[in-house]
Amino acid sequence: MADARSTEAVSRKKIKLNNTAILFIILIVLFCVFSYVGRPFFFSRLNLIPMINNLSFIGIIAAVLTMVMVSGEIDFSIGGNVGLTACLTALLLERGVPGWLVVIIALAAGAAMGSFNGMLVTVIGVNSIIATIGTMFIWRGIGYTLTNGESILAMNPVIDYIGRGFVFKVLPFPIILLVLTFVITYIIMNHSKWGRKIYAIGANPLASYLSGINVKKVKFTAFLFCGIAASLGGLILTSLSAVGMPQHGQGLELVIVSAIILGGTALGGGRGQILGTLAGVLILSILYNFLTIMNVYYFYIQMVQGAVLILVVSAYEIRQSRIKRSV
Amino acid sequence: MAKGTKSYSAFMNFLRTPTPTLIGIFILIILLFSLTSENFLTIQNIKGIFNNFAVFGILAAGITIVMIGGGFDLAIGSTAGLAGIVSAVLLMENIMIPTVLVFIIAVIIGCSVGLINGLIITKVGINPIITTLGTLAFFRGVCYFWADLNPRIYNEFVQSLGRIYIGNVFPITTVYIIVAFIILSLILKFTRFGRDLFTIGGNESLARLAGIPVDRIKIISYVISGFFCSIAGLLLISQLGSGRPEYGTGAELEVLTIVVLGGVAVGGGKGNYLGVFIALVIIQTISNGMVLLDVPVFLRMVVKGALLVLVISIDALRNRKQLQLY
Repeated sequence: MADARSTEAVSRKKIKLNNTAILFIILIVLFCVFSYVGRPFFFSRLNLIPMINNLSFIGIIAAVLTMVMVSGEIDFSIGGNVGLTACLTALLLERGVPGWLVVIIALAAGAAMGSFNGMLVTVIGVNSIIATIGTMFIWRGIGYTLTNGESILAMNPVIDYIGRGFVFKVLPFPIILLVLTFVITYIIMNHSKWGRKIYAIGANPLASYLSGINVKKVKFTAFLFCGIAASLGGLILTSLSAVGMPQHGQGLELVIVSAIILGGTALGGGRGQILGTLAGVLILSILYNFLTIMNVYYFYIQMVQGAVLILVVSAYEIRQSRIKRSV
Repeated sequence: MAKGTKSYSAFMNFLRTPTPTLIGIFILIILLFSLTSENFLTIQNIKGIFNNFAVFGILAAGITIVMIGGGFDLAIGSTAGLAGIVSAVLLMENIMIPTVLVFIIAVIIGCSVGLINGLIITKVGINPIITTLGTLAFFRGVCYFWADLNPRIYNEFVQSLGRIYIGNVFPITTVYIIVAFIILSLILKFTRFGRDLFTIGGNESLARLAGIPVDRIKIISYVISGFFCSIAGLLLISQLGSGRPEYGTGAELEVLTIVVLGGVAVGGGKGNYLGVFIALVIIQTISNGMVLLDVPVFLRMVVKGALLVLVISIDALRNRKQLQLY
């Protein structure tokens, strides 16, 4: 009995390792191909630094959203959250609020938005997909109302540093934030009790409840973190573009959810790896960056994003049903 | 006597549905707006309200079928936009194609988008929301193939499609909606397809065990939704007089609010067209009232999102089967 369980665990670990490893191999191959096809623009400092900066704010949100998705829920309101945070930041800076205070207020606003989503899902019991589609429009609408649809200049030493600063004059600051987020979420998901609880809830909420896990509390916390991460992403985006506008982060949910699913997180919850999400974010970022470099019209990139989402989910779904059939 | 008790119990059943609450809300809203704005209860304004909800009503007709079957369709806005712009391009004067053929092509486009959605959802087995989120983005991108053409509609028949008023008061589009709702209600109530759809929405695995061809019926429901999307697309280009690739953007939020407010359960298995129709009038009245009360355009977006969240929360509380522990 114990033997069977351990071999099962080993084989499962192998599959997981393979999945993420395959993704990283795909990533390297794609990177080489793109560097060759898109020469001389793709593999140049002028392209790679902005790409990495862009990727970092997507990655930060994706890492934390992975936790929400592993717990079996989803948050579509991240894009709206980014937009509202950007507007809020720019407006506060315009009023002369000091930079560090703006950062704190922005993150607190993100926490408030995240906990509102969490309340809807856990206390009232709304389907998280539809609830967060609704809140997505609310956040973005508030952003539009606050700024009256205009974009507002956001210049401040602290805010500038978040997206465009360099640590030791080499490392872009967003990259540090990205790495930190991934390290923290990796430790949480793989080496903490709370992370284990998230996996358990995603796999079987009833069983988790019966074994004494406070399911609602854990889910609520995941949503809270997701809101904070999204507003951090909003701060980075505001800093990168030096402007706060309500359109910031439009369509972000499509890219991020596809990246997470590409990384191997199951839609229904219970399965998913932080490293897989990292690979997914990297692959999709270089893909969309490559399309931009190749001068593809924006709306066709949107088309590709939609197709990628469906293809990725289909691929995993078909594979999953094959595994089930073979067992 | 027996007949009397039967109609009595039918009346009690009607009272148990969300529809009476809706009627109450509707009366309250009308009172509120007519007290605060003197232009609200004018024939001109009521004409406007009824003509404005044509597109949303037709879209709601289709998505209700899908949602009763436990499915979901976020791609309605994009499908309507695609059918609209393709027919607008085909109606351009330098392309001589008979109008009937244009209509047929539009319907074929709508139905094939529905078929694609249905096939992916049932045969591959993906969550319908994720699938239609993908097709939403995809088909919106396809719309932009014709972005540079900027077609105008000069065809008088197409123009009249969404602009005629019966007796100069009652818009013909409302007739379309009422006819569509009545036909669909009859289909839901009296055909095997309709009853199977309710069974699937109520309990899909049970329906499978009972020998209902679940996949086929679900695919048909998405095709029906696609069909109504193409009609909505035609109405859009008819009322607006041109074809633009962004037509129908964000329609899914509004239609979703209407349908859920109308008492269609998000998980499927519940819903009736009377409720959807009342919800349609309510939502359009609110939109109209916000215009009359000079609510800023961006704040209306917040109100619409908040309305959806509110409606969904009520739906969740109402359909909660037991105390939710997790």
